[in-house]
Amino acid sequence: MIHYDTEAGIMVIKLVYYGPALSGKTTNLLRLHDLLPCSGRGDLMVLDTAQERTIYFDLLPFFITAPSGLKIKVKVFTVPGQVKHDATRKAVLQRADGVAFIADSQVRESLNNATSFENLEQNLALVGLDPGRLPLVIQYNKRDLPGIVAEDAIRSLWWSSGVPLFFASALEAWGVVETFQCLLRTTYAALDATCCLSARHGLSMEAFTCGLTVPDASPGMRER
Amino acid sequence: MTAQGSISFVVGEEKKLTDVLSESDVLPLLKSVVGAGLDLAAIVDMTGEPLWFFVPGETAPGAMLPLGTALECRPIILSGDIVGRVHLSAGEGIDPALLRFLARVVGDAVNSMVQTNLKRMMVTELHTKVVQMSYDELLEKNRQLSASEQKYRELAEHLEMRVQERTAELKQAYARMLQQEKMASVGQLAAGMAHEINNPLSFVLSNLETLEKYVRRLSEHAGFCEGQLRQSGSDDLAGRVEDRRREQKIDFILDDLSDLFSQSLAGAERVKKIVSDLRGFSHIDEAEYSQLDVNIEIDRTLSVLSSEIPADAEITREFGAIPLIVCRGALLCQAFLNIIRNALQAKPSGLKLLIRTAMNSKDHITVVFKDNGPGIAQDIQARIFEPFFTTHEVGSGMGMGLKVVYDAVSSCGGTVTVNSREDHGAVFVITLPVNGRTDE
Ligand SMILES: Nc1nc2c(ncn2[C@@H]2O[C@H](COP(=O)(O)OP(=O)(O)O)[C@@H](O)[C@H]2O)c(=O)[nH]1
Ligand SMILES: [Mg+2]
Repeated sequence: MIHYDTEAGIMVIKLVYYGPALSGKTTNLLRLHDLLPCSGRGDLMVLDTAQERTIYFDLLPFFITAPSGLKIKVKVFTVPGQVKHDATRKAVLQRADGVAFIADSQVRESLNNATSFENLEQNLALVGLDPGRLPLVIQYNKRDLPGIVAEDAIRSLWWSSGVPLFFASALEAWGVVETFQCLLRTTYAALDATCCLSARHGLSMEAFTCGLTVPDASPGMRER
Repeated sequence: MTAQGSISFVVGEEKKLTDVLSESDVLPLLKSVVGAGLDLAAIVDMTGEPLWFFVPGETAPGAMLPLGTALECRPIILSGDIVGRVHLSAGEGIDPALLRFLARVVGDAVNSMVQTNLKRMMVTELHTKVVQMSYDELLEKNRQLSASEQKYRELAEHLEMRVQERTAELKQAYARMLQQEKMASVGQLAAGMAHEINNPLSFVLSNLETLEKYVRRLSEHAGFCEGQLRQSGSDDLAGRVEDRRREQKIDFILDDLSDLFSQSLAGAERVKKIVSDLRGFSHIDEAEYSQLDVNIEIDRTLSVLSSEIPADAEITREFGAIPLIVCRGALLCQAFLNIIRNALQAKPSGLKLLIRTAMNSKDHITVVFKDNGPGIAQDIQARIFEPFFTTHEVGSGMGMGLKVVYDAVSSCGGTVTVNSREDHGAVFVITLPVNGRTDE
């Protein structure tokens, strides 16, 4: 967690969209930005350069206020996927509360997916996070393209891990919100265990997830 | 940052407003906005404590915030969170719309500064704290990073200039909005009055006609009675009636009555025409685009202006045979009005104004306004279509006039040019397409 100040009543959570270069992480955030009501979020900040799309990271912040008055800020980051930007990836991963791994469904990207996932596990360990316990969801993106790995093959690949799996096309804007909601739920579960979100702050998993992703789900719960 | 993995830097750590803004960023902005006539411009945190502020003259930190009677605030947003406010206040004299407008300008400027600075800081922090790479990689990344940082720095540096540009732009837009609002409300008022006047006017007109008929019948009847009396041989009675008739000046009255009626009818008809010209001029009854006869529109405009035209002004209309054109009538009349009024003001006595309309080409008409006023000096001709540009005394309400002409004519798809030499009058030439529907 980036920041938790019980006295000031502020909690800042970090979620990270990880994955190989060009798998669609930035596009996921762009879609979330477009699909979710602006009342509960800030603006998307894209740090780019002329040469490449993401050499630093992108940031999309969300807000929700718990019935206790606790202000929760959810900062969603993307990492640069290129192998050479590993240092930046580590810095972004620092103190992450949850990770969405965005894989590219195309058959020819399978190796890149595997390499990037390995890199994720390594880096999590390096920044002191337990890959086995950190909230994690996996999204196979670009399902709209031809030449993609079949769903069954993907399911059987990940089945034993028990990690929630989503199929999406960020380009066509489906599967994106579902992935994000699942990430919010698993992250909530982990945070509730350590920070008593429901017992101390009166914030249920559904209120948390819906408040951040569904328009006008829980009146009075959302900030601004 | 020695051993691998011991990274102390965390991307995304919370930042305060004072982390991303500095005094040198905001003070010039606050100072310049106070220069527009405010009592105070400040940036305050969420508790309302001033972080930076500027008041005219005195700027000692910690001085009491003088709160003007008019107040405007704008939120400052840092990565989606409201972290402070731009706070402007002024005395009672200020136009509240202007204050609101200034608050918007400063709010926008501060927010884009926050955004730019935040990006720049994140890039710089990554740059200095994170990198653990081979020397070559480091060099390469340095190059990319500094290119990017340079980009953001340039952005920040140009920001103040951009703000100034935008301020001028917005000020003009604001003035034009005021002018347009004024025009719209005058037009609406005129149209509303025209409606109110039309009702009583139409019964005055029809009653006058009936009255004339009745009076004619009454006088006929009186004449008939007198004739009968004379024939009855009752000379005494007839003589008394005759005397009475002379005493009451009945002959004169009967004569005068028809004059009175025709004058009253003519007067009422004139009121009716003025009202309908006013309605026509405001084009309130029409769709935005309509087919209109430019010759008639010019006559209407002259009639609306008639009270402003001095007796010694000589206005010559040379109207050619021109087709109906499609355009925004209200705007066009406003353009004509401003040009004619400009001529009237440029030469209050002895004005000679020639208005000529003609077919110019297959699908364009021209309208020429040529006056014998003092003319427009060569060096300012290019600027007269700018807003605020005026050679009239400040406060006479002019200055917007020719800009409005320019905008109106452009939005009808036409052009307006001026040709003038000092002391030789001015010639305005408006060219309008026959079909002036623009997509705008
Ligand atoms: N066909 C298809 N293209 C996608 C999809 N998602 C992203 N892309 C494209 O993939 C490219 C890389 O996307 P981007 O979001 O920048 O990848 P990032 O490097 O992970 O941030 C862009 O050209 C996207 O338009 C998808 O679902 N389907
Ligand atoms: Mg990206």
